[in-house]
Amino acid sequence: MFNLIRKDFVLQKTTLMIMIPVLVVYLFLGTSSIWIGIVFSIVITINAYTIDEKSSINMLLNSLPYTRKEIVSSKYIGAFIFTCLVVFIIFIGNLIIHQEITIWKDILLIVSLVMVAISFIFPFLYKFKSQYMLTSSLVLFAIYLVVITLFIPNLNDKIEEFVQMLLTLQTAQYYLFIALLVMALYACSWLLSIRIYGKKVF
Amino acid sequence: MENVIELQHVQKSFDGFQLKDFSVTVKKGFVTGFIGGNGVGKSTTIKLIMNLLQPDSGTISIFGLNYKEHEKEIKQRIGFVFDENIFYENVTLAEMKGIIKPAYLNWDDNLFNHYVQTFELPLNKKIKAFSKGMMMKASLTIALSHHAELIIMDEPTSGLDPIFRRELLDILHDLMQDGDKTIFFSTHITTDLDRIADYITFIHNGEHIFTKEFYKVEEEYAIVKGGMELLDGDTEQEFIAIRKSVHGFVALTDNKTRIENIFGETVLIEKPTLEDIMFYTKKGSEKHV
Repeated sequence: MFNLIRKDFVLQKTTLMIMIPVLVVYLFLGTSSIWIGIVFSIVITINAYTIDEKSSINMLLNSLPYTRKEIVSSKYIGAFIFTCLVVFIIFIGNLIIHQEITIWKDILLIVSLVMVAISFIFPFLYKFKSQYMLTSSLVLFAIYLVVITLFIPNLNDKIEEFVQMLLTLQTAQYYLFIALLVMALYACSWLLSIRIYGKKVF
Repeated sequence: MENVIELQHVQKSFDGFQLKDFSVTVKKGFVTGFIGGNGVGKSTTIKLIMNLLQPDSGTISIFGLNYKEHEKEIKQRIGFVFDENIFYENVTLAEMKGIIKPAYLNWDDNLFNHYVQTFELPLNKKIKAFSKGMMMKASLTIALSHHAELIIMDEPTSGLDPIFRRELLDILHDLMQDGDKTIFFSTHITTDLDRIADYITFIHNGEHIFTKEFYKVEEEYAIVKGGMELLDGDTEQEFIAIRKSVHGFVALTDNKTRIENIFGETVLIEKPTLEDIMFYTKKGSEKHV
């Protein structure tokens, strides 16, 4: 299984070589660390998925001595490692460029939000194909637009308020609770993806 | 004799196609050629053997083990070649080796280099720039570099030039010399089988027609040629299929001795090719439907 994760790094060598400097540039420009952390982690993770998406590649991976469980698990563990990598670069980048230490609450927020997003994206990708991702994100965006124009005009403010509230919570217990909740969601998504992938026909 | 592959009463249905109560065995230490027309279930069978598909019912065991409990163990011992490119396209063969090598416990770099040299494969060229022949050589190199006991190939010779087809068959022939290896490969170029196959497994419309030793196929089956006056309702029943023309009939039988007894000297009996057998079997099954 470690080999499968290593493979995702090897195959993304060039992509990572381009993405990392871009990430540093964003840090330099002072873009919100949370925002770029989330975007880069998700992009790298989805890219790792699409490289393996072709049915011929699935034939290869499944003919090699790996189980379907391992193939799916490698993606979930890989996503977590990619996120840690991005967070690590942000941490170092902020330290060097802005001489500031990224607070742990920001890091927790990045990791949690990426994990929540991946928890929804992976089962979707395993069930459908990545080409439907664009369509469905357009649909989601349309729904979002409808919601903010018709029902909750200040949705963005509310989300911002909510995030601020999360970041200023005083008791560590809340964070622990949120972290557990996110991990539970991730684990469920993981099991669901294994189920979906187990039934796939190549 | 030990069976390396055993499929028992396997059923698998898709839209518009099914394998019906399919049972087949592949003997250890021999080359089994797997023949049948296009779309009769050859690839499906190979995918079932590779656990790329699960049967709706029935059992599949490889080396006497089942996939449910021994998936990795089984796959460690299989080398596979498919007729399409299953490698990443944007990497070189050297990089592809780097990806596959750690998956196998018995990977042998010397063996890999040996085949790379034999096939004159470029290690630093992107795989997407490989020709069909080079692709096949690369697949074969990977399949042979981890001392697999069972080599499974889906149409390995399709799209190859005749020279390389011969080379490939020679390599397979050499591989068989130590007696531990088993090769199972599908093809529709039946002349390939004349050179190396010990057993022939024939499948038609999702049904297993026969698995026989090659020489027995030639002993039992025969092409019969004769005048139209010999055919009537009874004698027609003796054949798998008959092709009639004004000059007479040509038919296939799977019981050469019986035909010799019935018709004696009045007909001409010839050795059939595998193509004849495939052709007449298809014709015969259409007639019964």
